[in-house]
Amino acid sequence: MRASSWKWQLKFAPYLYISPYFLLFLVFSLYPAFYSVYISFTDWNGSKAKAFIGLENYAALFADSRFWLSLWNSVVIFLLYVPLMLFLALVLASLLNANWMVGKGFFRMALFVPNFVSVVAVSFVFVLIFNTQDGLLNNVLRNIGWIGQPIPWLESPWYARISVALMVLYRWLGYNMLLMLTGLQSIPKDLYEAAYVDGASKVKSFFLITVPLVKRIALFCTVLSTIGTFSLFTEPFILTKGGPLSSTLTPVLMLYSESFEGFHFGYGSAIAVCFFILMMSISFIQMRLFDDKH
Amino acid sequence: MASTVHSSNAAPGTGRGARWLPAAVFLGLVVVAFFMLVPLFWLLSSSLKQISEIFTNPPIWIPRTLQWGNFAELFVNRGFGTIAWNSLLLSSVFTAAALLLCGLGGFAFAKYHFRGKNVLFMFVLASLMIPHEATMIPLFVIYKQLHLIDNIWGVILPDLANAFGIFFMRQYCASLPDEMMEAARIDGCSEFKLFRKIILPNLKSAFAALGIILFVKQWNNFLWPVIILRSKENMTLAVALKALEDSNNTPYHLIMAGSVISVVPLLIIVLVFQKQLISGLTEGSVKG
Repeated sequence: MRASSWKWQLKFAPYLYISPYFLLFLVFSLYPAFYSVYISFTDWNGSKAKAFIGLENYAALFADSRFWLSLWNSVVIFLLYVPLMLFLALVLASLLNANWMVGKGFFRMALFVPNFVSVVAVSFVFVLIFNTQDGLLNNVLRNIGWIGQPIPWLESPWYARISVALMVLYRWLGYNMLLMLTGLQSIPKDLYEAAYVDGASKVKSFFLITVPLVKRIALFCTVLSTIGTFSLFTEPFILTKGGPLSSTLTPVLMLYSESFEGFHFGYGSAIAVCFFILMMSISFIQMRLFDDKH
Repeated sequence: MASTVHSSNAAPGTGRGARWLPAAVFLGLVVVAFFMLVPLFWLLSSSLKQISEIFTNPPIWIPRTLQWGNFAELFVNRGFGTIAWNSLLLSSVFTAAALLLCGLGGFAFAKYHFRGKNVLFMFVLASLMIPHEATMIPLFVIYKQLHLIDNIWGVILPDLANAFGIFFMRQYCASLPDEMMEAARIDGCSEFKLFRKIILPNLKSAFAALGIILFVKQWNNFLWPVIILRSKENMTLAVALKALEDSNNTPYHLIMAGSVISVVPLLIIVLVFQKQLISGLTEGSVKG
């Protein structure tokens, strides 16, 4: 009796343990994902009856310049902050990895703090900082004489994109620095020693040991930033509401406003499906990039 | 670049004129840290100002008289007591439940042999690819039927199926020796007791790291809560901040005070649990 109950437990325990995950996933993720595809083929405002219209939403979406603009904006914002962020993250990580540096703990925390404080709170502070009339940044720049006229940070399309990019840089620099720092610290010291014994110069061991690892992490950071930039919502939602002239509209912001402000659920779902395909393609590239190396 | 990366092996100062280098680098770091902390200082400073002091030239860095009344206004008239409690309740309940489910799931995938294990695990990994944003519309419709709109459970439930957490706990569970469990089984330990008596106590730091990540993420969660949490009694802090803006004359001093309320608990948690948080955030990303 005891032995059989033991065997029974051993056999069914794992299924019991993973079942909540699968149950929740089916109900709250997989089923909605398929349902989303279905809704995207209909004209629906959420309350009236759904009218099946085939691919019309997609045809309309692909003809919608705002949709292409939202993708383009993401690319622009990405280019505005990611190269700078990766460069700074690498420099900062190298400095914080040095033995002789003092106050490492403080600098690491100072850099990292913006990443976990509420993005809504930080976005509102940047509304104050970027305000054209007497925002902190314009006032400081004017007082030190760098600018004569106030800069329309949130009111002109290019400045608005720069503002969003600056804020994303502010929030994510520390995180990327941390990833690179962990990478640098994970290189065993004896690897360099072995290279030294083998007669490799410092420069050579830098290119043979440090660079490949850093390249890998930088690639990883780039993929994460790509996903993050296309998914941007809160920053442009609070800073600029997607404007001016939709210059900071992102796919998720468009999805939100079409669906939950305009109640075009069919059209919104078409955006959602396209967004899903885009995210999946990026994840797929990520897997291909990181699988073969290990 | 080479010299800085290698400085873990060799102290600088080997070449001529390199003696000023550490000082210059230190100064550079101070500048970067300064830019990181200024917005947070401005947040705190503005939360204690009258609204007329927020947009001034020259900027007022430290308010002349500290307006603690901003905070009183939020708690007494704007329902921020309830709202802060909602945030705390939602994040805590979510974190506790998610830790249990991720722990059990990770344990099962790491330490049991069962039919379909590999396929099911591939499925868990693949599920990471479905972004929450892509399922919001149907979830909203389903929630209408389930009466989960304007309900904190509506925020918690979809996030509970946490593939990242299962993956995270699986890696840690795998590091425990099998003999420990075999010995317990021979002593007549039931399977669930095994989880409680062996996995939980031995993986405290892993649970702590994952717990902090989940808590912080849920505390700051905005997009989905702003869609489904409608009434003041059910809002979280992030949603309530946005709702303050929607009133006629944006009360930036109150928004800043509310932001401070939403930031301070996290600052405390993160400063206390620095080590766990950092090890948790980088776990898996670098090891690959």
